[in-house]
Amino acid sequence: MATALATSLPSVSPLLELGAYEALWSEKTASFKAIADRFRAHPDALPSDFVMATIAEDFAKRAIALLNQAGVARFGVRINGAGEYPKKLRDAGHPVELLYYQGWWDLVESPCVAVVGTRTPSDDGIRRAAKLTECLVRDGFTVVSGLAKGIDSIAHQTALESGGRTIAVIGTPLSHAYPKENRDLQRRIADKFLLISQVPVYRYSTQDWRLNRLFFPERNITMSALTLGTVIVEAGETSGTLVQARAAVHQGRKLFILDSCFRNPKLTWPSRFEKLGAIRVRDYEDVRQQLVDQAHQG
Amino acid sequence: MSTKLTRVDGLLLADHCYLDAEDECYFVGEYTARAGYAFSPTNDLIQNLKKPMDRLGLPEWKYKERAIAQAGDTLRGAIPQEWLESATVVPVPPSKAKNDPLYDDRLLRVLHRLGSNIAIDIRELVVQTKSTAAAHESSDRPTPTDLLDIYSIDTAKAKTEQKKLVVFDDLLTTGCHFRAIKQILRAEFPNKPVIGLFIARRVPDSAAI
Repeated sequence: MATALATSLPSVSPLLELGAYEALWSEKTASFKAIADRFRAHPDALPSDFVMATIAEDFAKRAIALLNQAGVARFGVRINGAGEYPKKLRDAGHPVELLYYQGWWDLVESPCVAVVGTRTPSDDGIRRAAKLTECLVRDGFTVVSGLAKGIDSIAHQTALESGGRTIAVIGTPLSHAYPKENRDLQRRIADKFLLISQVPVYRYSTQDWRLNRLFFPERNITMSALTLGTVIVEAGETSGTLVQARAAVHQGRKLFILDSCFRNPKLTWPSRFEKLGAIRVRDYEDVRQQLVDQAHQG
Repeated sequence: MSTKLTRVDGLLLADHCYLDAEDECYFVGEYTARAGYAFSPTNDLIQNLKKPMDRLGLPEWKYKERAIAQAGDTLRGAIPQEWLESATVVPVPPSKAKNDPLYDDRLLRVLHRLGSNIAIDIRELVVQTKSTAAAHESSDRPTPTDLLDIYSIDTAKAKTEQKKLVVFDDLLTTGCHFRAIKQILRAEFPNKPVIGLFIARRVPDSAAI
């Protein structure tokens, strides 16, 4: 990859940055926070500024081999500082310097709304998620979710069935699908729409599920940053969805909570987030009013 | 902070079938529009830049003017002055000849914007001897060999003391135009490196493959 340059034009090599990002993640103490801290201290830096080129090249080879083995032949990366990196990602508490994607990148700049919730929804929750998604599609929004079981899957599937656009921000590398039954849905989204992952491919391959599951809530923070707002359809007291609720509040994104969550006497989080500015949604109009104006301003 | 240039490296090379690992090409953004949608600023910029000349005088023309200025400024922000001042920059000739009503000098205009207030050598070294369909409007895309038949060096301009030659185009697609012009320039200036500079590269639609 490192052919001798005839000139010295400062530029970004995506392959080298991919390898450097993977190398940073191979350090034992690596986390989104630890890596973001390094870049906070050096805001103009690229991953390759912290890693020797030969090491970055080695990690790039390893990561690409893992992706290729899993059938991921074509993919792209986005790098902070280079073209097409979404500025809105910088609103995240520990913004990612690099992410992987497959599909139609342009969608990331379309008006996006996240629809998220529990992996074990009630029948009413399923119905509400589908209805909400249909309404968002009708108003021209791209529906973003995390491709998990339950509400996430309903949101993606309904968006596709309604002829809408959808983006999946996943908590595994592009090489994996979780849950496995969503593999086809993931492939369909990658082919026709947009699949995004911030999860380091090599690091993921070296540790077991107990550590890898920690990547799931991290992607909710990125998902929130990519969207105008998040709608929570249904979620328990300890649901990972609440990570996204906190992120939305912190990032200045709209947070919508369906009224049915407030009416569930077992839940304390809806009123807690309402006090922080979340909007209680009695019908779709409550969402629409807030988002349509914002989408047009954006 | 201005956007950094990206180099076409091993990760991107397969998207541009006429380029190989020895080609040194840079771009700022990526063109990923599908089915007429253009949500991203780069997609918008490229679509406006390529607005055909028959729209001249219509209200939408201002978007083309704006795109020319924006493209020049974006490149200026990404490239150090000293690098530009040691280069001869050669725009890819427009698909329509100068006497054609659809002749579009947008590349030259972007370069003039980029080079305003600095000592930059912009030279239309390569000329096209007959009009063709614009590559982005044509389904029958030429090969570099086809282009060699219609490109020639403007011998009156074929003198440069600069260290390197930079071929400039707005959108890198297959790399065909760059390769044809590189071949012509290498024949004329065998000792000078020939580098490609683009506003954006087009990412092929994965669904179409």
